[in-house]
Amino acid sequence: MIRTFLFVLGGIVLGLIIHLVVVLGLPLASEETNWTRISALDALDKPRILDVPSGFSPNPFRLDPTFISAVCRLSLVSGPGVVSGLLPDTFWSVAVFDSSNRAVYGTTNRSGLGQSLQLGVFNPSQTRLLAQRELEITEGLLIVESALDDIYVVVRLAMPLPELADRYRAALSGLTCTNAPMRTTEVPLTPPGGITENGAPIPYDRPNR
Amino acid sequence: MKNLFDLLLAILVAVGVGFGLSYYALGRGVIVGARQVGPWITWPSAGTPTPDPYTRAYLARTPELALNVAEGIAFVAHADSAGEPFSGNCTYRLDGTTPQAAFWTLYAINEDGAIITPAGRATHLLSTQLVREEDNSAIVRVSSHLAPGNWLEIAPADTFSLVLTLYDAAEFAGLGKTDTVMPAITREACQ
Repeated sequence: MIRTFLFVLGGIVLGLIIHLVVVLGLPLASEETNWTRISALDALDKPRILDVPSGFSPNPFRLDPTFISAVCRLSLVSGPGVVSGLLPDTFWSVAVFDSSNRAVYGTTNRSGLGQSLQLGVFNPSQTRLLAQRELEITEGLLIVESALDDIYVVVRLAMPLPELADRYRAALSGLTCTNAPMRTTEVPLTPPGGITENGAPIPYDRPNR
Repeated sequence: MKNLFDLLLAILVAVGVGFGLSYYALGRGVIVGARQVGPWITWPSAGTPTPDPYTRAYLARTPELALNVAEGIAFVAHADSAGEPFSGNCTYRLDGTTPQAAFWTLYAINEDGAIITPAGRATHLLSTQLVREEDNSAIVRVSSHLAPGNWLEIAPADTFSLVLTLYDAAEFAGLGKTDTVMPAITREACQ
């Protein structure tokens, strides 16, 4: 009897280990994620309007029918991602997710953004250049850092009346979703005093004025 | 023979506990990661940069474009306040208060996530468009049959779930609040 009890106890412990393996392994084993679904859409560097769910229509992203949403995908390899445009005077929100589907950033128009969306997404090296003032950006850009280079941005517009759908769809279609050119501030490659033959900087005495 | 029986029993228990617990925890159960307020269930860290492992697993098996926590938070109810699963033949009454938010939306979905509204009818209710009582509270009825007041019409269905999403819900910014109150869901008449 005790022996059977110990086997059952062992089974429970093994079951808990299986449970932990399932929970930790599921995100790694999952072949279809939001990232793969969005990658399958024609949304690279341009906004793609998602279908507003209606009665019994497929709702693959489990969207709220009150909102009309657009998604765009960006790669930060070739430069910071910029999403900008003018949105209608309604509640709207923007969220940035990376390719591992982690939420990077989110905000709404109620945080003082008004109708103008100007979002810049930078990877860590671009943020470093930005901090060193070696990267030129548009003034007023909302700066967000993403650890991963592959991201997607979701913009949602609350639609109080269905009649507004076309107008809101046009506003979302007009969003710019692209990579900003990497305009770096000129930094002199050689120190002002010059360098020695082995590459060491020569001390430079600034002339007195 | 006895050893073989014990071994088979242990394997059965392990598989049952392991996969059963996982199915429950990542489905409608609330063990770790999910939070239940009355009949309403939410995954509060789904829209944060560092979701817990259970939330990550839940998101991996649910095709949901989750809201960032700064945008809002979604609650799902699969049953009424008494724990009875929803039936499309019954009328449900929602009353009570919601946490502070800019506004909230309410709609009904089936197991595939499709909105179960008859064609041509409003797919959702918006908190800003409700008829309210003198004390500013609002009573909502969910039913496939005509109901008085604020009525979320659904198509006849075996079962369904309700989704109540709070937008710009400052209360959840810290995720630690424990005295959250959500509307109660009471079953009224059934056909």
